[in-house]
Amino acid sequence: MGNREVPYGTLDLMVLKTLEGLGAQHGYGIARRIEQMSDGALALNQGTIYPALLRLEQKGWIAAEWGASENNRKARFYSITRAGRRQLAEETENWARTVAMMARLLESES
Amino acid sequence: MSALRVLLARLRGKGRTPAELKGEIAAHLAMLAADHERRGLAPSEARAAAKRDFGPVLRLEETYQEQRRLPFLDTLAQDVSYALRQLRRNPGFTLAAVLTLALGIGANSAIYQVLDAVVYRSLPVRDAKAIVEVSLLENGEGIHVSYPFYRDMAAQQKVFDGMIAVSDFPLRQAVLRGRGALRSVKGSLVTGNYFAVLGVAARQGRVFTAEDDRPGAPPVMVLSDAFWAREFGRSQAALGQVLEINGASGTVIGVAPQEFFGETVGSLPDLWLPIGFQPLFTPGDWLNAPSHSWLTMLGRLRPGVSLRQAELALAPIYGGIAELTVHKPGRDYLVQVHSASRGIAALGERFGKPLWVLMGLTGLVLLIACNNLANLMMGRAAARTQEIGVRLALGAGRARIARQLLTEGLLISLAGAALALLLAWQGARGLVAWASSSGDWRLSLSFDPRHVAFTAALAMGATCLFALAPAWASTRVDVHSALQAGQRAGGGRFRNRFGRVLVVAQLCFSLTLLSAAALLSQSLWNLRHQDFGYDTRNVMAADIPLEMTRAVMTRRTALRQPLYERMNAIPGVRSAALSAFGMLSSMVHSCNLSTAERPTQRDDFTRMVHVSAGYFETAGTRILAGRGISDADRAADPKIVVIGRTAARALFGNGNALGRLISTGRTFETKDALLVVGVAQDVRFSNPRDPYGFVLYVPMTQNPAPVTTVLVRAGLGAQGQGGPGLAGGIRAAFHEVDSTLLVGAIHPLGESVEAHLGNEKLLALLSLCFGVLALALTAVGVYSVIAYAAQRRTQEIGIRLALGAARRAVSWMMLRDVAALALAGTALGAVGAMAVTRGLRGMLFAFQASAYWWLVSAGAILLVIALAAGYIPARRAARLDPMSALRQQ
Repeated sequence: MGNREVPYGTLDLMVLKTLEGLGAQHGYGIARRIEQMSDGALALNQGTIYPALLRLEQKGWIAAEWGASENNRKARFYSITRAGRRQLAEETENWARTVAMMARLLESES
Repeated sequence: MSALRVLLARLRGKGRTPAELKGEIAAHLAMLAADHERRGLAPSEARAAAKRDFGPVLRLEETYQEQRRLPFLDTLAQDVSYALRQLRRNPGFTLAAVLTLALGIGANSAIYQVLDAVVYRSLPVRDAKAIVEVSLLENGEGIHVSYPFYRDMAAQQKVFDGMIAVSDFPLRQAVLRGRGALRSVKGSLVTGNYFAVLGVAARQGRVFTAEDDRPGAPPVMVLSDAFWAREFGRSQAALGQVLEINGASGTVIGVAPQEFFGETVGSLPDLWLPIGFQPLFTPGDWLNAPSHSWLTMLGRLRPGVSLRQAELALAPIYGGIAELTVHKPGRDYLVQVHSASRGIAALGERFGKPLWVLMGLTGLVLLIACNNLANLMMGRAAARTQEIGVRLALGAGRARIARQLLTEGLLISLAGAALALLLAWQGARGLVAWASSSGDWRLSLSFDPRHVAFTAALAMGATCLFALAPAWASTRVDVHSALQAGQRAGGGRFRNRFGRVLVVAQLCFSLTLLSAAALLSQSLWNLRHQDFGYDTRNVMAADIPLEMTRAVMTRRTALRQPLYERMNAIPGVRSAALSAFGMLSSMVHSCNLSTAERPTQRDDFTRMVHVSAGYFETAGTRILAGRGISDADRAADPKIVVIGRTAARALFGNGNALGRLISTGRTFETKDALLVVGVAQDVRFSNPRDPYGFVLYVPMTQNPAPVTTVLVRAGLGAQGQGGPGLAGGIRAAFHEVDSTLLVGAIHPLGESVEAHLGNEKLLALLSLCFGVLALALTAVGVYSVIAYAAQRRTQEIGIRLALGAARRAVSWMMLRDVAALALAGTALGAVGAMAVTRGLRGMLFAFQASAYWWLVSAGAILLVIALAAGYIPARRAARLDPMSALRQQ
């Protein structure tokens, strides 16, 4: 189970990336997309993305507005903002650097 | 940056309300279930799977809402309600704390309000910053100027948007006739542009224009709001009424705004009249007389003109018109321009310093109060050690707990500040009423947001002083021992040490305060128990307002003989005498003083008193050589004079003054010389602390003057000595001689002296009250610290006693502790006392080295009280039963 949890701090990044790729999405759409992308490697309590969405909204990285879902239910649609894109680019770079560094470190250790 | 954005987002309430979130979750679940159904699950199974995938809804809702809220506001509300509960549980403590603070803060705030009104408040006029006073300095001292001088300067200057001149001199004690009983009113003569230049509009009707000040214009007047209320009950009907002032009539055309008190702080005239009507009120035309200096000049600076530039621009103008006002050879004259944005600071000069002293004293009281509160808070925190230990053990942060305790302090401060505002409002009024009871000035206090701000700032400062350290200290608890030992271990070493620091500080502040009280009281005692140069016992004084119209002046001169005879005929009167411009009266007649050898000097100031026969006997002023003034000094005889001792010394050295000639001209002239027939003792002329100056006494018969004061000395053993009976007799005598004469107050002469001691009495009384309060608070502080120390050492004392230590030794051990604290506090306090002595030195009357003994005794009193307060718990400690003390652990 442990290897399937969402690493701390990465959920925000995943949400931003999803919104950048798909455009405006409701919460379920985002959760579904993240699950698809992880190919079942992540066991996401879908509910946990709501606090993440609020956090991102408060930081001004995403915006939200009411809309209708595919089955015509009222739903909140989230989209990435300009600040959000900037943040995503920055975070992606950070992430890549961290991963590369970790990879080098782990390789040399083994 | 992003933290700030989050805070703002939370403040705006971004994110879903609970209901909205529920809707969003429902939509999510429905879509999720639909997907599961599409993959072939039965509807009920699909719903169950959706719920499983989504996770616990309740917890999500909780975290979500928590994330939306402001954590700070939330816990604040919690802290406040918790603190309120704690305070309610301890009503005694709460009440004591709030009252202590309210007194401390209220006293400071009250003094600040008065200080603000007296020294710092801006004139309530348009753009007060631009208002300046234009003074003519003679040898560095400001003097009044004549009307022609003002007129020419105002016409020639180019630096002001208007110059004005004012004088309350002719109408300071005017008489209002024709509206029932005669009344004394205070009028101010102003130039026609007065209100326009100041930018003050009428509250009712209109103010003066330049037209009202032209020759031949009908006489008009503007009333002050206070007078309008007093005389007309704020009725519209006042406008257009004709008032008779000093025998001249004028029409009321307007009322000044309520907040406008004129240009001089503390003067508050009843009415203003155009200056052009001066000849109606005083004998002679002063408008065209360069020799009459009676005006104060003000101006409104043009935008962009500085004080210095204005001075430079006026200097050449002065050079051209110097002869239009008083100009004595051999003296230096200088035109000075200084800011009058706060009005002419007549009161500031008189009360500024005493008020600052009061402010200092009340500041000390507040410090002592905070000290005591800190001690109380410390004790409370200690009593809650166990509770705090439990909370720390359960994972509460120290900062959070400290904040909770601080919230308690803040609430106490808030309540204290609210009460303090009320106290200050009353206190400031009481203070002004007390200080102005002598009657020659008035001050209006108005509400000002700055007073609230000052009070709030004081409260915040006080909270920091008394609540911060205890709050923090109380969380320095070792959880383990707190839970085990319970309350007794409470607070621990820190509390002990902090308490000691508090006591030492308290002793130091108290001694400083007591020293101030001792010095000020001694000064007051010296003022009262000196030889004033007159004997106030059994003497009544009746004041007659000086109405300076020609008719009244002539009439009063004619009244002299009948009045003198009638007063001396009152039963029980030993002697009665009349005087003009005598001691303690509000008006002074000054003149030159020269002999053939010594012309008038630069800094001479000579007062001339016009007296009737029997004056010296009645006033109790001793004649040191020669004789006084008697019935035998007739108008036609060669002119004589009795001079004061200081003048005699200055003119004739140690030689004999009797039989010598003096003159009241600038240089000696034989034709108007006066023959010195007596030397009188020196007197405290204007007030009890007035330095001895030159005084001349001349007979009224030879130098006519309107009577301003009647002195009556009751015979010893006569009925109603100096009491109300005699006052009635005097009033009846006046009425009999002239029923149209307005007689002012008739009171014992001692009261006039006391009226001049208002400042000193107030300072001495308040400092004594504060000193006693400080002593009481200090005693409580010492007691509680020593009691706490004894409690901490219970076990140790038990062991000592069990091992055979004498009880006396134990109590001595505790007392040594007290003594160390007391000595440290007193030593520090001695430094404070020295600072106070130095600061007050200039205000103290007849300061002598003996004052230091007073300071030493103040220190001794403090030591004794501290030791006594410490002795009680020390003795109790020594009386412990060793067995039960040991068992307690």
